[in-house]
Amino acid sequence: MKPRASGWMFAAPYLTLFTAFVIGPLLFGFALSLFRWELLSNVKPTFVGFENYVEAFRDPYVHQALGATLRFVWMAVPATILLALMIATGLNAVAGKRQGFWRAAIYVPHLLTVSVAGILWRWFYNKEFGILNALLRPIGIEIPWLSDVAWAMPAIVLMTLWWTLGGPSVVLLSGLQNIPVSYLEAASLDGATPVQRYFRIILPLMRPVLLFVTVMHVIGGFQVFGQVYMITRGGPELSTRSLVQYIYETAFNNYRMGYAAALSWILFAVIALFTLVQFRLMREERS
Amino acid sequence: MNKKSLRLFSAEVAKGVGSLFFVIPCLLRVLAAFKPDSEIVKFQGILPKQWTIANFQEVLGNPEEIPLLRWLLNSVIISISTATLVLTVSSLAAWSMARLRLPGKPVVYGVVLATLMVPGQILLVPIYLLLNTLGWLDTPLALIVPAAGGAFGVFMLHQFFLGIPKDLEEAAALDGCSRLSTFMNVIVPLSRAPMATLFIFTFVGSWNDFLGPLVFLDSLERYTLPVGIALFQTSYFTEYGLTLAASLLCTLPTFIAFMIFQRQIISGMAASGMKE
Repeated sequence: MKPRASGWMFAAPYLTLFTAFVIGPLLFGFALSLFRWELLSNVKPTFVGFENYVEAFRDPYVHQALGATLRFVWMAVPATILLALMIATGLNAVAGKRQGFWRAAIYVPHLLTVSVAGILWRWFYNKEFGILNALLRPIGIEIPWLSDVAWAMPAIVLMTLWWTLGGPSVVLLSGLQNIPVSYLEAASLDGATPVQRYFRIILPLMRPVLLFVTVMHVIGGFQVFGQVYMITRGGPELSTRSLVQYIYETAFNNYRMGYAAALSWILFAVIALFTLVQFRLMREERS
Repeated sequence: MNKKSLRLFSAEVAKGVGSLFFVIPCLLRVLAAFKPDSEIVKFQGILPKQWTIANFQEVLGNPEEIPLLRWLLNSVIISISTATLVLTVSSLAAWSMARLRLPGKPVVYGVVLATLMVPGQILLVPIYLLLNTLGWLDTPLALIVPAAGGAFGVFMLHQFFLGIPKDLEEAAALDGCSRLSTFMNVIVPLSRAPMATLFIFTFVGSWNDFLGPLVFLDSLERYTLPVGIALFQTSYFTEYGLTLAASLLCTLPTFIAFMIFQRQIISGMAASGMKE
């Protein structure tokens, strides 16, 4: 077959949508970030260069939101990877049909949409009638889960773990199952104990999958919004307000579109930076 | 500890963690939806002392204020349309880029792939303004059409199509099939599994989408279930019984779908993570 431009007509519907709703908005968004563009006000959009970015670097709320987002990533991602690895290892030891059942069971929370999961956990965390404090009260503990700055972010992280652990567990489980049995048998013949096998053979072979899952969760963690919005609305004292929530409020409560677009690009830059560092680490790992 | 008892031990741990941490919160919610409000606001044990369906009656019996069935219908329409549109345009594009010899293909595919790295939120503000210009805000189109520009489906099917032997298509071409009928009669039947996976993924993603409907929809009767349910947090703040009953009804369809398509969902999930 010769290269024929007419073949493009198969791709045309997708490429049209791709241009209109991905490439176009991407470029438009960057242009937007260079304007003072306020919906609902009478001021015409005016070109201000990088002023929005300068404002963002000085904006204490940006620092706060970035700090909260980093805290979320730092608390949630390592815990996710570690627990998912433990769960996957446990599941791998369960045989046959029952494995399928438990694998499905850990995936169940993720079937709940974030508003439902959020409402559920708000109810658990309720200081007066929540089940967590009801269980802790007999041993004399009452935790102000959502009203105390020290507890609110850990509470969000705990709910997130519950809600999202199923995915990485399933991915890591299939990673474990892809390890050739012959490697493990060879190690056993050489007299390796199960613990040695796990740390010397299984974990090193799992490294690429673990790194991949970590990268995906770091990217996802920087975009945290739904559960924060549902459980704490960013409080108390804005201590859990994430960057995405700040962007959302800037754009759709205050209608400052240009500034919100600039904040979006800053978020993108932060994510890209972290992703790049992790990919670099991965490559060094390989060579 | 010998090998066998270690395996048994870790199996028990997995089961313990699984049931306690993941399933029990869901069960608590199911049970609490059958409790009267007085038992919900004062913890009196896990099982309802007095079973009641009043919460469900109230949530379903008030379509003016709580159009729950309307939200359900909106969610179904939007999710099915999104998944269908994504599958159609992505599979045609993926096939043409995997198989047909097109001028400029590597560049175009490269650009499409590169956008996999772009987080969705960065497009939120520009797409909002674009939808505003098109007059699509507060309509289902605002959620359905932009989703079809995403690169994930093209990437996933492109990988799969590359693995199909070329001979089949060449034989079909020799038999005089047009390119479209080759696609429909040879490729589609061979690609049922990845296509089903893409459909289900897109469906679930759209069903659970929260930020999109929150930003693009405005009126109560246009809402999808996730944003509709979120309203309970504000307007029906203290009525946990209603909230729990509504959220239970909201989860039922996804739960049933998951039971039916469990294999595809989980193996698709695993495969999407394994591809590097």
